[in-house]
Amino acid sequence: MQILFQNRQPDRIASLEEYRNSGGYEALTLALKKYTRAEVQQLALDAVLLGRGGAGFPAGRKWMTVAESAPFPRYMVCNADEMEPGTFKDRVLIHTDPHQIIEGMIIVGYSVLAEKGIVFIRTSYENAARIMEQEIVRAKEAGFLGKNILGSGFSMEIAVHRSAGRYICGENTAQMRAIEGKRANPTQPPPYATEKGIWGLPTVTHNVETLACIPHILRHGPEWFKSLAATPTAAGTKLYCVSGRVNRPGCFELPMGTRLSEIIEDHAGGMQEGYQFKACLPGGASTRFLPKSFYDIEMDFDAMKQAGHRLGTGSIIVFDHKTCLVAATLNMIEFFARESCGWCTPCREGLPYIREILSRIESGEGCNDDIPQLRRMCRYLCNTYCALAPGAVSPVESLLTYFEDDVQEHIRQRKCPFK
Amino acid sequence: MPKLMIDDRKIEVAPGVKVIAAAEQAGIVIPRFCYHPALGSVGACRLCAVKFLDGPVRGLQMSCMVEARDGMVISSTDDEAVDFRRFVIELLMRNHPHDCPVCDEGGYCLLQDETIAGGHAMRRSMGKKRTHRDQYIGELVQHEMNRCIQCYRCQRFYQDYCGYRDFGVMGSASRVYFGRYADGALENPFSGNLIDICPTGVLTDKPARFKGRRWDFQRAPSICIHCSLGCSITVNARYRELVRVEARRNDDINGHFICDRGRYGFAFANHPDRPRQARINGRDTSYEEAIQTTTQRLSEIARTLGPDSIACLSSSRAGVETQMSLKFLTRSQGWRQPGCFVDRSEQNSVTAAVGRLTPERVVSLGEIEKADLILVIGVDPILEAPMLALAMRQAQRAGAGIIILNPQPVSVPFAYDHRPISPDDLCSTLQKWTRSISSQTRTESHFVEKHEEYRGPETPSVPCPLPPVDSLLQNSRRPMIVCGTNIVGTAIIHAAADLARDIHSDCRFPGLFYVLPGPNAFGAAFASAGGKSFSDILPDIETGNIKALILVEADPIFQFPDQERVKNAVKQLDLLVVLDYVPSRSVGFAGQSLAEMVSPAPLHVVIPTLTHFETQASFINQEGRLQQTTPVHVNGLPMSQLTGGKHPPRKFRSDVPGAGARAAWQVLSELEAVLSSTPADSITFADIWYRIGLAWNISVENRTEIPGNLRILSTTVESEPMTEHYRDD
Repeated sequence: MQILFQNRQPDRIASLEEYRNSGGYEALTLALKKYTRAEVQQLALDAVLLGRGGAGFPAGRKWMTVAESAPFPRYMVCNADEMEPGTFKDRVLIHTDPHQIIEGMIIVGYSVLAEKGIVFIRTSYENAARIMEQEIVRAKEAGFLGKNILGSGFSMEIAVHRSAGRYICGENTAQMRAIEGKRANPTQPPPYATEKGIWGLPTVTHNVETLACIPHILRHGPEWFKSLAATPTAAGTKLYCVSGRVNRPGCFELPMGTRLSEIIEDHAGGMQEGYQFKACLPGGASTRFLPKSFYDIEMDFDAMKQAGHRLGTGSIIVFDHKTCLVAATLNMIEFFARESCGWCTPCREGLPYIREILSRIESGEGCNDDIPQLRRMCRYLCNTYCALAPGAVSPVESLLTYFEDDVQEHIRQRKCPFK
Repeated sequence: MPKLMIDDRKIEVAPGVKVIAAAEQAGIVIPRFCYHPALGSVGACRLCAVKFLDGPVRGLQMSCMVEARDGMVISSTDDEAVDFRRFVIELLMRNHPHDCPVCDEGGYCLLQDETIAGGHAMRRSMGKKRTHRDQYIGELVQHEMNRCIQCYRCQRFYQDYCGYRDFGVMGSASRVYFGRYADGALENPFSGNLIDICPTGVLTDKPARFKGRRWDFQRAPSICIHCSLGCSITVNARYRELVRVEARRNDDINGHFICDRGRYGFAFANHPDRPRQARINGRDTSYEEAIQTTTQRLSEIARTLGPDSIACLSSSRAGVETQMSLKFLTRSQGWRQPGCFVDRSEQNSVTAAVGRLTPERVVSLGEIEKADLILVIGVDPILEAPMLALAMRQAQRAGAGIIILNPQPVSVPFAYDHRPISPDDLCSTLQKWTRSISSQTRTESHFVEKHEEYRGPETPSVPCPLPPVDSLLQNSRRPMIVCGTNIVGTAIIHAAADLARDIHSDCRFPGLFYVLPGPNAFGAAFASAGGKSFSDILPDIETGNIKALILVEADPIFQFPDQERVKNAVKQLDLLVVLDYVPSRSVGFAGQSLAEMVSPAPLHVVIPTLTHFETQASFINQEGRLQQTTPVHVNGLPMSQLTGGKHPPRKFRSDVPGAGARAAWQVLSELEAVLSSTPADSITFADIWYRIGLAWNISVENRTEIPGNLRILSTTVESEPMTEHYRDD
């Protein structure tokens, strides 16, 4: 069932007409004309719409934390700063059907009375930024943005803001500081963003995919949305990105909770000839490795959590049996060590230290003390200021949990056994 | 009031206090790098981790990020917390150079302490250390970026606390760099505090570089004498040379910080030309001979020309003991009352300000930070009282509005509402606001009438197109009136006090804060009561009515605008005695050979005195707070000047070279004793304070150590009536 991808074309983006022909902007009319703001919030809550950026926070509850008496102007931020390794769903979504994101933003804006919308977009997504800018103009021309939208009295403007290009800018609080023109260091609540966000004003931030779900929920109702999922507790569809040595890597819209085996075998076309599935990262680089024993796991927030893993962004990076996971982990730690904002000690100093040890192990210079030292660091790097370092050490920690033998073999043979 | 338990100690703290501060109240110091009481908590270093065993928060948490709440049970010595802190130290030491033996911070370095306390002795990391290029950031602060542990204290102090932008943080991840966009001197007049707050040796004191180790220094608590605020400092000396000054915490006044003028302005004490030997007519002589010659000539003049022909002048930089000893001396001999000011209008202004401070209105600098509206009249804070600007910035960060009434443009590190009122209209504007407020808050007509007399000469009221400051004042709960005494006259000083008095109501507690022209101008107002300023006695010198002049740490030859006139006048004196510790113009004038002098048999005497670094001295700051310095070292020629900067002398000698100076109050007391034929050797510091106590009718129980919170106000001490000379003011 293709919901978010219903207008997906192989070679171009869907136009405003195509989007409207498929029912686009009907939800906005419903929201502005039929429902009260509280009803819109309740619909999202009933639909169990969980944030698709990786944290899985209920969207409806986020809107409800914006107090009635909160000051104006309020901000609605679309987080399109997609920089998680292996994740490309937001880019595909913008290149497929940008108007459902715009419509989602307007509906959220209406539900919290945010008149200023900001699309915070990754700097390397220049094409996507131009698409958004162009489609925002078209939406405005069609009367869906600007002053007094559809005669409802609600006004909203959306601006596109290009990131300066750091991974940490994707973090909610750091992103708000980045928009303010400050250093993108995360801040710790309280106050929460919905209370005091950008320039001290209430701010609601959502991932691109979350926003795209909203028009559909309003049009078809929460029960329909919940029925889309493959598991009883989950709701909606999910964009799964698959990369690695599979036959057909790509971005697939599948029911939330689809089994990993089904995603890889049926949709991604299975492993390439001569390669076997060894492990995967289920939700970008900041989740734990899933070994073969979890091959049949249901890919939704609850099931993954119960198994001690995280769904994250649902971006599956597949590793085959000929790939050295130490080298793969080292590659990811390189990324995280570079992308740390430099605020707190364990992240700023700890990640380069992990990189140093892993590169020693990979080049055959590791020693037996390195494994306990890595374990200790993985444990302590969870006591950092924000969630970057705990995410960054997830591959390292799971490498030591599930593939300690591989690491030991590096140390014993004094070289990488995969080379 | 949350009650919690930290390391088995029960404590109760105010709501909103962070656990790290709560622990400190219980006497438990949790290790920290980024946390600083003045800069707040940001959770960057992760060193203050403690284990929460029970209560609303559980597990390993940063004590600076968690507010103390009821029922918390916290352990700072839990194994996991200790091990985590050790881990943080290990991470920081991965890149920290092992240059402690050549680092100026070594010996009082927080990182060094924590590394040793945490037991981190072996570097397990085998990688290369990160290196940075250092910057030239001026002549005051040395930059050594490789030592940085990224606590962000410097950036938070420089940009957030002080409001200057030319120093900050750049880069990200492990390449975070603290510095300027390019080499160049720091623009912040409080930049020296970076040295104090840096927990390791990145930012160190440049003038004091390689001058000695912390444990080599003689250290003593002292008071800054560079403006009237009287900030607390700690002085470091070595080999009879002052080496550096640090801020000393005083929550009533300067908090944790001091300005750069206070920090680096100590060179006068080491000055190579400092008077160290008594001189008579340009010839070095012994102290005893100088005293004897002086007293002989004084007696002669008093006998032949009458005691009225002897005049004395002190200054607002002399300590209370010196000013008052001079007063006692003149009184015992029946000479003219001493003055403490060169200029009459300055004496008038200071006297007016001191006279208008009452216990209900007077506020300390620390209270300025708690204001919600500050009205600044005729002060340029950065120039006249730098720490006042920093305090006002803190008030503004907490939401206070600041209105500056000044005809000139002023430069301060915060946004303010500038009302460039012309000097002619300033007084009438203040009076108008006062009238408008008092007519609204108090209806009794007699009240207004009664105080009408305080207002200076009536100026014609001018139409004033300003937004209503009076209503702003009325709507604030804690307004502060900050008033200068430099460019404004007595009428405005009175008008400011009237305004503070009349906006008082049940819900408004205004403070009155004057900025005075010297560290002890307040004391000078008392000591010069009944006396005249130098500009008033100058005609008497010119006409020959005054034949002897004693200058005590005063320099009218430099300060009086018409230098030729004053030099010609002073040449006609029979006796000129100059007591000072700096090579001032007056010292230079009195110390030269008299070959070319015209007057028959004139006598010029220079007697060296001690700075407040070498003797106990008391100063009354602009709010009437009596504070005392502690001597840090003995007076004498600095070793570097003795040996020309080479190795200390290898021969022992029993005396200290260049140690001929005595405290000015000792010299004056001895003059008094000799002139009155009483034993001179019995006068001690306590004796002086006994006499001051009698004169002011205050009780100072321990007369050698005066508490720092004693306020001396004209309403609380007895003194002679202080009169203002309203002529042509």
